[in-house]
Amino acid sequence: MALRGVTRREVFRGAAAAAVAAAWPHGRARAQGFLANLAPEEPVEKTLQRLFGSRPIKDGSQVITLDLPLIAEDGGNVAMSVEVKSPMTPQSYVKAIYVLSDKNPRPLNAKFNLTPACGQAYVATNLRLADTGDVRAVAEMQDGALFMVKRGVRVVVAGCAA
Amino acid sequence: MSTLGQVKISVPGSIARGSVARARALVIHPNERVERKDGKSVERNYRFVSRVVVNYLGSDIAEFATATSIGENPSFGFAFRVTEPGTLKVTFFDTHGARFEGAAEVKPA
Repeated sequence: MALRGVTRREVFRGAAAAAVAAAWPHGRARAQGFLANLAPEEPVEKTLQRLFGSRPIKDGSQVITLDLPLIAEDGGNVAMSVEVKSPMTPQSYVKAIYVLSDKNPRPLNAKFNLTPACGQAYVATNLRLADTGDVRAVAEMQDGALFMVKRGVRVVVAGCAA
Repeated sequence: MSTLGQVKISVPGSIARGSVARARALVIHPNERVERKDGKSVERNYRFVSRVVVNYLGSDIAEFATATSIGENPSFGFAFRVTEPGTLKVTFFDTHGARFEGAAEVKPA
């Protein structure tokens, strides 16, 4: 089932990407409530490329704690929390935390912009996951350094086209 | 059924001044997902929460950019440094231009 979905997506990806790019140019929001606020559908590597370009991403297993269930019964509602070790002072703090799901058509789940006033680099939310796969958390420090961790989640019932 | 746009914020009951507290904010919202036909998004008037702003003592301390891959009734946990007694305000903006606001009083001991 999963295989069929991937194949189908693969087939239409080229055509869809071209049509989509023509239909809604980035940065120009059309009527409110349409798809202008959505990122394009793309594989996760492309999202990482779009967000971070060629900046190096270091292994963050020492600084980031990504908490997720091993098995998610309902992909439509998966509790997730991320905590990054940081003093959160104006000199050294986590500027943003990105959460990405490898198997989602639009891999970027959310971007959390933080300030030193947060006191702790901690965020939590309920994700929608389309399929079994890795979930990544990327922490961006105030100096632009990037750290990433990922964890696999088994999704029993898909959260559908997230 | 809960009402669309109802915001609930939970803040720990007893907080020491100067400590870091964790709060959670939830909005009742369908956070409608995107349908596809032949691999392409079907353009409809989708309604989802696209921006969340956390405000404490009148200044914005955090901002979240979100999309449809957050579950129905999006909830967000976050931390904040408790300095003064005051209001913690969380505002959710959705793609239909609606704005849902919730507030909680922070009373450090």
